[in-house]
Amino acid sequence: METVRPLFIPVILGTARMGRMSLHAARLVTGELGKHAGVETSLIDIAKLPLPTNDAGEAIKQAEFSSNIDRADALVVVSPEYNHGYSGPLKHVLDSCLREYIHKAVGIVGVSSGPFGGTRVIQNLLPVMREIGLVTIFWDVNFSSVGKVFAEDSSLLDESYIRRIDKFLKELIWMAKTLRHGREQISLD
Amino acid sequence: MVAVANTDKMICSKCQVEMNHHSDKIVYKAGADDAGTDMALGGIIEEFHACPKCGGGASRPEVRVHC
Repeated sequence: METVRPLFIPVILGTARMGRMSLHAARLVTGELGKHAGVETSLIDIAKLPLPTNDAGEAIKQAEFSSNIDRADALVVVSPEYNHGYSGPLKHVLDSCLREYIHKAVGIVGVSSGPFGGTRVIQNLLPVMREIGLVTIFWDVNFSSVGKVFAEDSSLLDESYIRRIDKFLKELIWMAKTLRHGREQISLD
Repeated sequence: MVAVANTDKMICSKCQVEMNHHSDKIVYKAGADDAGTDMALGGIIEEFHACPKCGGGASRPEVRVHC
């Protein structure tokens, strides 16, 4: 009997700024995702992707990032909210692929230093996700006042986030399995 | 009249099995010549395929023949 391939769901950290608190959130979500049986994950830090800035789109595709997204069944995007929007580097990285995203699931984690948990950046990311071919889920995770959520050593100070992340990931995994079946078995023709 | 000519199944380069055609998408490319452009839709239609065995993906432009 053929063994079922594990799902691969990488987490993209969507900021390259120094001192970014979103790193703590991304590490937490990656750790929780890794606890799910049949799921493999890794943290993709956009600060470590050497993309040129004098061109854009698939012209600057980076082989390792492309390979990771190609292998992925779903993505988690962890995005801080900067002036109600996402970071320029995140958009630059997302735009470097297309084929790799089609009919794959995505869940968005918003991070803000204020009280709204990145809700506005999530709303701004939805049309981008749709256009690049990803399928968004209806669960988000919102880290509000992120400076109070994590200690300096990255440890979580508010355990209520674990339950929220669990609900978010269960929905994402369901969607990832469903879309894998669709990509591989259900013909458009 | 425009006819879609590219009906050949894609084969996974790794597994050598027939891939599943699961999506078409319009791709807009600045500076692209008119070859392959669907004038009614305003862009190039890209086909997306997945391997039922390894899950690998592949794409190709839909080939259109004006006749």
